[in-house]
Amino acid sequence: MLQNIVNALVLGSSYVMIAVGLTLVYGILKILHIAHAGIYAFGALFAVYLCEIGLPLVFAVTLSLILSALLGMIIYKGFYKHVLDRGRIVPLVMSVGLFATMEDLYRLMWGPYKRPFDVYIDLPDVMTMDLYLSSRGLLMLIVTAVVIVLLYLLLMRTKLGKSLRACSNDLGLAGAFGINTDRSVAFAFLIGSSLAALGGILVGLYDNTVYPTMGSVPSYKAFVVVVLGGFGSIRGAVVASYILALVETFVVYYFGFLLPRDAIAFLTMILLLMFKPEGLFGKVRR
Amino acid sequence: MLEVEKLCVRYGKITAVDGVSFSLNEGELLAIVGANGAGKTSTLNAIMGLVKPHSGRIVFDGVDITHLEPWKRAHMGISIVPEGARPFADMTVIENLEVAAMNIDKAEAKRKMEWVFELFPRLAERKKQLAKTLSGGEKQMLAIARALVGPVKLLIMDEVSLGLMPRLVTEMFKIIERLKREKLTMLLAEQNTKKALQVADKVCVMQNGSIVLEGRPQDLLDSEEIKKAYLGI
Ligand SMILES: Nc1ncnc2c1ncn2[C@@H]1O[C@H](COP(=O)(O)OP(=O)(O)OP(=O)(O)O)[C@@H](O)[C@H]1O
Ligand SMILES: [Mg+2]
Repeated sequence: MLQNIVNALVLGSSYVMIAVGLTLVYGILKILHIAHAGIYAFGALFAVYLCEIGLPLVFAVTLSLILSALLGMIIYKGFYKHVLDRGRIVPLVMSVGLFATMEDLYRLMWGPYKRPFDVYIDLPDVMTMDLYLSSRGLLMLIVTAVVIVLLYLLLMRTKLGKSLRACSNDLGLAGAFGINTDRSVAFAFLIGSSLAALGGILVGLYDNTVYPTMGSVPSYKAFVVVVLGGFGSIRGAVVASYILALVETFVVYYFGFLLPRDAIAFLTMILLLMFKPEGLFGKVRR
Repeated sequence: MLEVEKLCVRYGKITAVDGVSFSLNEGELLAIVGANGAGKTSTLNAIMGLVKPHSGRIVFDGVDITHLEPWKRAHMGISIVPEGARPFADMTVIENLEVAAMNIDKAEAKRKMEWVFELFPRLAERKKQLAKTLSGGEKQMLAIARALVGPVKLLIMDEVSLGLMPRLVTEMFKIIERLKREKLTMLLAEQNTKKALQVADKVCVMQNGSIVLEGRPQDLLDSEEIKKAYLGI
């Protein structure tokens, strides 16, 4: 029981990291940013690469986060920004294309194989009678908790956070009140992308594996989270991440023989959408 | 202070504003009246930068702002109460105001907040309430307050009285009169022609995207013909 809950928390944390960026982007631009998953994979792959060439973990992670953030911003400035007035399909198609391209590029650069993330984490393993949590799992929980708190403070207390929320409420109007919307959106991509990369790194560490297509499944899951969370609500996305992870973990534990876990995640979403189409914390949206 | 020259706004093939020109001096109140779909909102939104003009020129404080981004116009002192109020729904009353007051210094922002809370005591009682839970009238008040807390020099108001009960309409126009006494320059779109004419220095009547008539309220009111044909009063 306890073990299942802790497993679910670790899993849920990985969803949080990737879902935050998706939710920010969806909330503001109403774009389904599929390529976000490409950044998640990039963060992990690049950090592993840097570690392999001998950089200490902290440097590798920092550098990878910075580059991932920039990559996210380039996707906005170089691509989405130019098609924002073309409805939702054009950016979506663009995003799918970018994601496919990114995965292929990673394959070219780093090969198609799974690679271990071999580093030493200076944290204890948690081991008791009925619970095992590796140091890497512990790291995931701690980092995610810190991220959630910082994100909350950022959104509720800072000028940037309030600007982002205003943009998310009414992008067209936010500019009329002095908000540089283009810059705010760029920041949303910087923040969201670095968090996705951090998520990729943490999952890479936890599973001790990274590979070019590691973003695919988590990204689909994160979309479930964005939907469950109510399309654009960060708080909703965080809560939905953990709910989805709990449901998944327990259903797999008791009925895992019936369906694979990802099918269960999507069935959950489909059922929820049928009965509560605005998501768990849905705002009414235009 | 504001000059609009041959402004055209198009949505695809629809021409919503078709060669509108007018000017507005400091401290003046210009009311644009006209039937539904006449192009009032499109004109005001073009001045704020919320829609792109197809052609024409907009000059504010001697600067050509025709293609300037909205946030830069806001910094220059243009502010809008949009049609339908549109407060930032998932933010509280005070957060709505904070967002709009971000670009002025802290002391000034504090003074302005106190001022708008004095104008709208009902908002002062609801500082922590989410904007989406406000009543229609309160949303409208919040929209006005939000437009006032920034570095406003020109206040654009789009149908502030729409959908409000008569007592609130009167209240809104009292506020407008008060802002006028404080020498704020204002540009109003109104369907409530009678009220608009009472406060305005100048009136433009729009029809099908063009200004068909303009003048001082008194001159328009003096002609029975104009009253019947254009003003519907
Ligand atoms: N986003 C849009 N897309 C297409 N057509 C539009 C759009 N906005 C306005 N229009 C059209 O432009 C014309 C002018 O609209 P506008 O909203 O400026 O009129 P208005 O004078 O403000 O009307 P009302 O009094 O009803 O608010 C209308 O025919 C309207 O249908
Ligand atoms: Mg209108």
